[in-house]
Amino acid sequence: MTLLLIVLLPLFGALVPLATERYGRNICAWSACIAPLISLGLLISHLPRVLAGETLRYHREWLPSLGLDLSLRLDGLGLMFALLITGIGLLVLLYARYYLSSKDSLGKLYALLQIFMLAMLGIVLSDNILLMLVFWELTSLSSFLLIGYWSHQSAARKGARMALAITGAGGLCLLAGALLLGHIVGSFNLGDILAAGDQIRAHSLYPITLILVLLGAFTKSAQFPFHFWLPHAMSAPTPVSAYLHSATMVKAGVFLLARLYPALAGTEMWFFLVSFTGLATMVYAAYTALFKHDLKGLLAYSTISHLGLITLLFGFSTELAAAAAVFHIINHATFKASLFMAAGIIDHETGTRDMRKLNGLWKYMPYTALLAMVASAAMAGVPLLNGFLSKEMFFAESLHLEYMGAWGWVMPVLATLGALFSVAYSWRFIHDVFFNGEPVDLPKYPPHEPPRFMKVPVEMLVVLCLLVGIFPHFTVEPFMHAAASAVLGHEMPEYHLALWHGFNLPLLMSGIALAGGLLLYSQRKGLFAFYERKFRSDEKLVFEARVQRSVRLAQWVTDRLENGSLQRYMALFVGSALVVGTVGMWPLAEWTGSRALTPVDPVSLIAAGLLIVGSFGTVLIHHNRFAALLLLSVVGLVVSLTFIRFSAPDLALTQISVEAVTIVLLMLALYFLPQLTPNESGPKRVVRDVALSGAAGAGVGLLCWTVLTRPFTSISDYFLENSVSGGGGSNVVNVILVDFRGFDTLGEITVLALAAVGIYAMLHGLKLPLPNADGEGRRWAQDPHPPILSVMTRILLPLAIMVSLYIFLRGHNMPGGGFIAGLITSVALILQYISTGTEWMQQRLRWNYRKVAASGVMIATLTGLASWLFGYPFLTSTFTHVHWPVVGDFELASAMAFDVGVYVTVVGATMLILAHLGRLAQSTHEPPATNEKGEKI
Amino acid sequence: MPAPLPLLSLGPFALVCAAAVTVLLGIAWQRMHTVSALVTIVGLLGALVLQLALQTPDSAETPLLVFDGLSHFAALMVLGSSLVVALLSHTYLRGYTGPREEFYLLLLCAAAGALILVASQHLASLFFGLELLSMPLYGMLAYRFQSSHSLEAGLKYLILSAAGSAFLLFGMALLYAQTGALDFTGLASEMGPWALAGTGLMLVGLGFKLSIVPFHLWTPDVYQGGPVPATMLLASISKLAVFVVLLRLVLEVPTFRDEALSALLAGLAILTMIVGNLLALRQSDLKRLLGYSSIAHFGYLLVALVIGSRFAVETAGVYLITYLVATLTAFGVVTLLSSPCRTEEASNLEHYRGLFWRRPWLAAALTVAMLSLAGIPFTAGFIGKFYILALAVDAQRWWLVAAVIAGSAIGLYYYLRVMVALFLREAADASRAGRGGHWLNDTIVLVLALLVIVLGVWPAPAVDWLAGLNY
Repeated sequence: MTLLLIVLLPLFGALVPLATERYGRNICAWSACIAPLISLGLLISHLPRVLAGETLRYHREWLPSLGLDLSLRLDGLGLMFALLITGIGLLVLLYARYYLSSKDSLGKLYALLQIFMLAMLGIVLSDNILLMLVFWELTSLSSFLLIGYWSHQSAARKGARMALAITGAGGLCLLAGALLLGHIVGSFNLGDILAAGDQIRAHSLYPITLILVLLGAFTKSAQFPFHFWLPHAMSAPTPVSAYLHSATMVKAGVFLLARLYPALAGTEMWFFLVSFTGLATMVYAAYTALFKHDLKGLLAYSTISHLGLITLLFGFSTELAAAAAVFHIINHATFKASLFMAAGIIDHETGTRDMRKLNGLWKYMPYTALLAMVASAAMAGVPLLNGFLSKEMFFAESLHLEYMGAWGWVMPVLATLGALFSVAYSWRFIHDVFFNGEPVDLPKYPPHEPPRFMKVPVEMLVVLCLLVGIFPHFTVEPFMHAAASAVLGHEMPEYHLALWHGFNLPLLMSGIALAGGLLLYSQRKGLFAFYERKFRSDEKLVFEARVQRSVRLAQWVTDRLENGSLQRYMALFVGSALVVGTVGMWPLAEWTGSRALTPVDPVSLIAAGLLIVGSFGTVLIHHNRFAALLLLSVVGLVVSLTFIRFSAPDLALTQISVEAVTIVLLMLALYFLPQLTPNESGPKRVVRDVALSGAAGAGVGLLCWTVLTRPFTSISDYFLENSVSGGGGSNVVNVILVDFRGFDTLGEITVLALAAVGIYAMLHGLKLPLPNADGEGRRWAQDPHPPILSVMTRILLPLAIMVSLYIFLRGHNMPGGGFIAGLITSVALILQYISTGTEWMQQRLRWNYRKVAASGVMIATLTGLASWLFGYPFLTSTFTHVHWPVVGDFELASAMAFDVGVYVTVVGATMLILAHLGRLAQSTHEPPATNEKGEKI
Repeated sequence: MPAPLPLLSLGPFALVCAAAVTVLLGIAWQRMHTVSALVTIVGLLGALVLQLALQTPDSAETPLLVFDGLSHFAALMVLGSSLVVALLSHTYLRGYTGPREEFYLLLLCAAAGALILVASQHLASLFFGLELLSMPLYGMLAYRFQSSHSLEAGLKYLILSAAGSAFLLFGMALLYAQTGALDFTGLASEMGPWALAGTGLMLVGLGFKLSIVPFHLWTPDVYQGGPVPATMLLASISKLAVFVVLLRLVLEVPTFRDEALSALLAGLAILTMIVGNLLALRQSDLKRLLGYSSIAHFGYLLVALVIGSRFAVETAGVYLITYLVATLTAFGVVTLLSSPCRTEEASNLEHYRGLFWRRPWLAAALTVAMLSLAGIPFTAGFIGKFYILALAVDAQRWWLVAAVIAGSAIGLYYYLRVMVALFLREAADASRAGRGGHWLNDTIVLVLALLVIVLGVWPAPAVDWLAGLNY
């Protein structure tokens, strides 16, 4: 339970400073320290047990179905890191109190720092790799907020975003890697994973797992080639840099290497991937650090270089190398944190971090200078300081590597080279800043020593460097022993840290590095010029350029795809659908199936030809809307004829009457629209559209062909067999409509009536500007009602109504039926409207078409309901044969009443639509309405 | 199976329809905005409670509809989302000068369509549900027809949707020609030469609604142009319902799991994740950005579809919940900031600069939503993303894993851009500064945001519930 407390206390600590901020900065600072202090105390209380080799655990289920548990462990490695995190965290909190100017909110910084502390403690104490991942992401996020603390600076925002983009992406890789580990081992519990090392390394997924995990670790620890985010994260306030970029966040990556060492390390792949990444990072970053003029930039690259060194040590895969890595983690945390704080002091007191301006500060702040010099010396690996010890171990390990074979000399040479650069930049840090003449126009002059308490954290860390450097055996060895044992997964072999190992090769390498570094620095002028000329590469520019390029790519794609043009969308949509359809059709070996093709006769051929010509013509002249409409009606007519050709007179009748009504409807609507469609497509687009529609048409045609040439079961047999016996009619289509599928028809006529009412509602009160000329500027005829037309239509009316009645009555057995009859009646009526005008018709035919349509639906429904009276289901029909005089045998079916309903609805709905559309047009041709006094209204 | 069970299962649907009819009659009798909204909310709430009380029976079914765990889950999500939209619509429409009541009518119809769609196990009910869902959306998107953007959005959706439906129908026809059946179990019977083409075309039609690349082109324009509540509905229930029905198809009809098609789907998933996220990078309009983000999220969801195992269903369920909650929160904030709709909507990112200093709670809610959409731990989105990754890794689909990772990494970038803008000091648009909404509305959004966090911190109940549903 105390483990959970250790992790969660900083959360509490994050809230306190926000609350106490108003009581002044000192109270705020002290109160903020309470929670981490308790955490630290709890950690220390566990110290003896952990150092004795015990592992403390805490377990609680969180998301058991996924294996994500809230389980924590405290072993040597975790303890070492936790101590670093809380200890240095406390020092940073103290330091930040004096560093931050009064403009900036101290509470906010404290809160963020403690949230970060929580996340880091979570990482190092997790006993479940998924839980570790959760905290891992949290560090990315909180570090984003910390780096962007000065959110008004664009550099801070950009640096924060870059850090997050890199580490966040790495975190996601790690997540995938962790899931794979769980997949291989069958558990996400760290203990299980560490115990299953052999199983993991033998698994076929090992390489990809390793790569994903390493990607996570390398991005976090700023390893080459992901190192460039770290220098740009330096726009954070210095306490943040001291905390995140020395002791904690960047160490999370190497912590991960250490944590998963028993599970993943020990293969050739691990060796080459890890050690070469580390090597490249170490040498390259050390070299670059030498040329940075920014104090924090230098420190940032040096951090990268040291992280590379630690990575390299883990890559060596020997027991002592792992121990050395752990040791160097501690050492680097202490001297680098103190150096960052010293740099912060210098920045704070002089107002600049530029080493070309900072010179000769020894005179102004000797005490700080002394502290910084000791820490720098530790960084360079000068004897008597902690850096020296771990560097010696590193050199010793680099000398005997099993995987390198004949290339064994490469590693020590490059290691020495890296150390040499490291000495050079450390020396530069000391010499440039504290000596080297007088300061050059400092923003704050003269600089002086900082407040007492600002130096305390630095002092403590520097003392630690010395103590560890001189008395390693008494100070750090137990920690290191416990941590290294935890890393290795078994007891460390007996090894004692000592200052003096006698004259040997590592000592010689140290000597070379020290001397060479000083020599290199003395040649700095030429080197700097050389660097400026040749190797000046700013990763930020590279990254930004890359970002810009991808942004431009995104923009380009956006412009291409998303220009807002519906035509473009449509074309892309159809094109993509074509691709998908083609993929679907690909496996089809043969287009033509096994069914015999019906022979082609001249009539069908002509009809087909007409269809094609009609369709093409419509498309070709579609700019002239009326003409296109006429051609379109040709298509409709041919379709009706085709129905007749294939013995479907009923459909033909329906089609032809629907055709007539539709054309009238379209004419009425088109009247209000411009007569010509403007030509908006360029030739390119026309070609594209023709190709696309051709391909789509061909695809659909081919699909139909393949379907129709293969045998399929038809449902028509059932209806043909049952039409007379079940529905009492030999016209199968009509029987289907009114009997078999009576319910559907009821629904359809309801929809028809509804649509008519809807159109009526929309046209109601609509006023449209009426055109008085056609597309070519010719005026419409002034005489709206030519007498010949009126006379003809009036003669036609009774005839048409008779025909429709006839068709209605015979409908059950022969082609016809309520639907067709209704359409014929409507056409006859609408002709009256067209020839003599709405006014005239309304005086003679005072029907409310809405009520007509509604009563049609009602009749049909009542017919259906009637069958309930006789105890049958809804819409059950019956029929009988009666003998009429003159006419003869006549079949009377209850479905006929239903058909009456259909008839009435069709008439009502059609008239409702057409008459109202027509009325809109009518008003143009009438003289302007006048009121009683003859004035225009 | 006792007979009355299916009828009771239809209860929520019937309630929603009844509410729609009531609103319709109410409009005919007397227009009253608040009453219409109230009827809608009560109807949806009643349906939600009823659905909750139904305690999924062991797959009650009719020939057209099936009521199992999946449809139970989806129906709850649909009703919940519609309820949120209805609540926020009332605030939004207060300032609208045209007729306001019809909006609720359309909303209820769309919800009814979605309810049918998620329960359909027959191509007829699928198409019916889909159209009943889409038709009202045309109207809702073009509801502010005085604004050319809104009109354009409605028109674009209508025309492209019609094309999509045409492909869908043609695909269905081919499947029917192949199997002679329209119900899903009947479709499963045999594989034939053109079943694959039919399936592909159906995918085009459904993929259009899910805005899967390359059928996604309408999404940003429509998201941006439509009134926020309509966009919200489009982003929530429309996508959810279509996804659920597609999931059901994949699970029940073998042709949808065909190897070639599955590879194609995987390719589209990868494309969707990458393109959706890449295109979002440059957006300066929050609604547009959310449009692209929804494209990307359905790319992630496609992973579940491609894998199509039992666990994939659970994964999809978890992801859908997390997506819905976060999306509703984000759109909820946009709605509240755009309410009442008198002038232009607050969709440009400029509106959100320094929002924290003006409307801290709303800014906090939007932050949570963005964090969740980006998949940051301790928000719902992380759990969802986690499930997707776990699924893909378990199935060893490395390309999908890579695409999810790459997509999420890009996503992080633009979601954070929004977040950062919220906390910038410069208050850009002072005109919206002081306008506070009714506390109730803020509460809805805050409750949603809280839900995002609760789901992220303590997801076990929701996950267990999902795992316990039978499908």
